[in-house]
Parts: sequence; structure tokens; C-alpha cells
Amino acid sequence: MGRRLVLLLGVVVALGGCTTVDVARVPDAPQGRGVFVSTSDLPGPYKSLGVVQATRRGVLLFGAVDPAGTDLQADLDDQLLPQVRMMGGDGVINARFQQTQYTLPTRLLFAILFFIPLPSEVTITGEVVKLEAGAQPPGLAGSAAAQAR
Amino acid sequence: MRLLLLLPLVLATGCGATVRGSPLSSRPPEPQAGPAIYLSTGSAPRPYRTLGFAQVTGYGVTVAGFSDVGEAGLDGTIRGTLSQVAATMGGDGIINIEFIDENPPTEVERVSDLSETVSSAFSGKGQVKTRNRSVVVTGEVIQFLSAP
Repeated sequence: MGRRLVLLLGVVVALGGCTTVDVARVPDAPQGRGVFVSTSDLPGPYKSLGVVQATRRGVLLFGAVDPAGTDLQADLDDQLLPQVRMMGGDGVINARFQQTQYTLPTRLLFAILFFIPLPSEVTITGEVVKLEAGAQPPGLAGSAAAQAR
Repeated sequence: MRLLLLLPLVLATGCGATVRGSPLSSRPPEPQAGPAIYLSTGSAPRPYRTLGFAQVTGYGVTVAGFSDVGEAGLDGTIRGTLSQVAATMGGDGIINIEFIDENPPTEVERVSDLSETVSSAFSGKGQVKTRNRSVVVTGEVIQFLSAP
């Protein structure tokens, strides 16, 4: 009885502190001239090419299998960046993102209830810009200023 | 069984939707080009005072998967309604604009809605598949303190 209680408490403690983490890496920008994506603003000069929203929607099978690629990385690589390149942009500023996240207990539950798929969605929004002469992508201007000091 | 095997393939393809809107204000703002109200997802290019905040929700419907009807477009809400709201408040611009199209149909969903409508028409029911849409836009209405 005591062991079961300890085990139960262990499970409760372990699951109580569940955290879900999702990350996305932006592609390397050689010489700072690739397509950049930033959540920050840009001092300019730049030309606005328009706002864009990239969404991917699907389901998680067995609580974990994501055939539609509804994560930040897939949305960035397969949806947003091709659109930015198609618009002729140098990058995206003021990006905002949101991805459906499920805790491990939820995923485990739906792995057991495998016949019920979990809805999943990821969205990235931002403003596509083209840099004009003298402008630098976010981050590089700060680095230059720091070096100058 | 075949349908079950096809399910992952269907789920893996065409599940993305990209929504675009027209250009906002460039920096520095171009006097002749662009909207009269300064619009930016970022900050202001020169000193300003805040007049207030605005949130606009545009509602619409996607009919049969291919026809978007109503006000649920990024251009209509940002460059249209939000700009009008700023002008009404006596503002020169809107900064820190954030936007979300809450239910953009993916390619799979558009095709599905269209095929459902067509099959309904052929079967004599005549039901048209519709999908509710809404775009929410927020921003800070500002008034510039100095001339450009």
C-alpha cells in the first residue's frame, strides 16, 4: 500500500511539472543576406511587401505522430520561407507564432485512445520586407554598434 | 482499409494555408505611395503620442471552398476598417499591428468543401458547404508630434 502511494505520488509529481517545448531554427544567413525571420522591429530603411500568415493544420496520430507537419519548424521551412522568397522579400519582421501544444499525459492518453486523433495547428505571422541600401537585418546592426564601442 | 492507408498521405499533403495582405507603410514612409495612415507591425518612425487602441474583427464565409465572401480579409481589416478607425480617432497611424486569420482553409479543406458541394448538387440536395472565417486585427492608434 505504501509503495503504491509513493508510486502514485511520484507519477503525480512527475506529471504535475510537465512542460512542452517546441523550437524552430531559422536557416543560416551567410553574410547576413539570406532570408531572415525576427520577432523584432527594424529601424530601416526598408520597403514593406505585405503581411503574411502561414498556417499548417492537421492531426496528431497516436498522440505523437504528426504526418501533416504542424510544428513551428515545418511551418517556417515549408510554408513561410517559400512565400517570403516568392514575394521577393529579404525577411520577416515582427513575427508572431503560435503552436498547439499538448502535455505528455495528454499525449499518452491519446496514444491509448489511438482511434481519436488530436487536432494540431501552427501559425506564424509577420511583415515581409525588402531591405534598402544601408539597412541591415535585425541583430547585425546591434553587433556593429557593439563592435564600434 | 485502402482509405485507412490513404489517410496519412492525405494528412501529410496540402495541410498548409498561406494568407497574404498588401504592403503596409515602408520606412521611411514614402510620401506619394502607400496608405495615407501610417501602418506598421513595428514601431513609429518619429515621435508620437498614443491616442488609443483598436481591435477589429472581420467576419466572412468561404463558400464551396473557393469563394471568399465578407470582410474576413487582411486587406479589408487592416487597410480598410482599421485605417478608418484611426482616422476617426484623429490619428495619423497605427503601430504594433498584430493580426490573425483564425480559420484559413487549407488546400485539402478547399478541395473537400468543393467536392462536397458538387456531390450534394448532383445528388439533388443542393447544399453548399460554407466555412466561417474571421480575421482579428489589433493596433495602437497614434498621432505624430512632428511633420515628416
